[in-house]
Amino acid sequence: MDFASSEHADRTAGLAHTAPLAVKILIAGGFGVGKTTLVGAVSEVAPLHTEEYLTRASIGVDDLDGVNGKFTTTVALDFGRITISGDLVVYLFGTPGQERFWFMWNDLVNGAMGAVVLVDTRRLEVSFASIDFFESRGIPFVVGVNCFHGVRDRTAEEIRAALALDPQVPLVLCDARDRGDGRDVLLALVDHLMAGRSATSV
Amino acid sequence: MRHWTEGFDDGDADEQLVRPYTITSGRTAPERADLTLITLVTTLPEVSTQAALAVRRMQPEHRTILGLCRESKAVVEVAAKLGLPVSLTKILIGDLVDSGYLWARSPQPLTRATGPSDMTILQAVRDGLRKL
Repeated sequence: MDFASSEHADRTAGLAHTAPLAVKILIAGGFGVGKTTLVGAVSEVAPLHTEEYLTRASIGVDDLDGVNGKFTTTVALDFGRITISGDLVVYLFGTPGQERFWFMWNDLVNGAMGAVVLVDTRRLEVSFASIDFFESRGIPFVVGVNCFHGVRDRTAEEIRAALALDPQVPLVLCDARDRGDGRDVLLALVDHLMAGRSATSV
Repeated sequence: MRHWTEGFDDGDADEQLVRPYTITSGRTAPERADLTLITLVTTLPEVSTQAALAVRRMQPEHRTILGLCRESKAVVEVAAKLGLPVSLTKILIGDLVDSGYLWARSPQPLTRATGPSDMTILQAVRDGLRKL
């Protein structure tokens, strides 16, 4: 497949054939829902770890006169990759657990193909903010219900109702440790994206 | 003979000996706005012996990046391998792109965009995932 013919074909035309195209999928959800586990299950390399410094003028809620109006914080990120072909690489980003950082880190969210929001049925509330975030940004997502140790104590309908999920958003039960399950969650996302595109083009 | 640093203990083994922004000569913000987490960077072959000499005079981190990127790597992968924060890595990569040692390929913006090339990419991703 020749992606170099797309409108993004580069000025360095000769190299466009040797460098692959990269796309990004975000793996989100609250703390401890299994984001890095899912990344590790489907990634061709052990999840890599990196950090970013985020700096931003503090928003006008602070009342600390005389304190420098900027703060810097370090956030961590685990990611993996799946090489689809010599032309195409998918990067999977396990997002930092605290959603407030996503607003500061545009580079993390911008250009994402879509997202998987992982939820843990015992602690659904830790993933609410992730769902809100992608809904508000208009980023397509699917929900992966991580059934730890195969425990399926809630039906998909019950979880859907508890999350007040848009009926259009797919929900998939999975075990985040399982490669096949992880693949199926990602496939559900890709199908969802394709359905969204054919719907808008009609 | 004891080296003068022996017995020093700053109590933090993880602390880097060199402060991160020393490597970037104090610069804290990337000058190039086009480098993203998944921009792929590839080392270009050295065009002259002069260029090869210039590489030898670079910061060790610059040379490490050129070594890593003989095969295309995403900016975030380079950061992970260097053990440096992403923004700092972008500054170093920007230097190398500006001076013609690295070539950067921007990712395809896929969000909400529509078009046949988008569908082609999604289909390719789907086919690839099915083989996992």
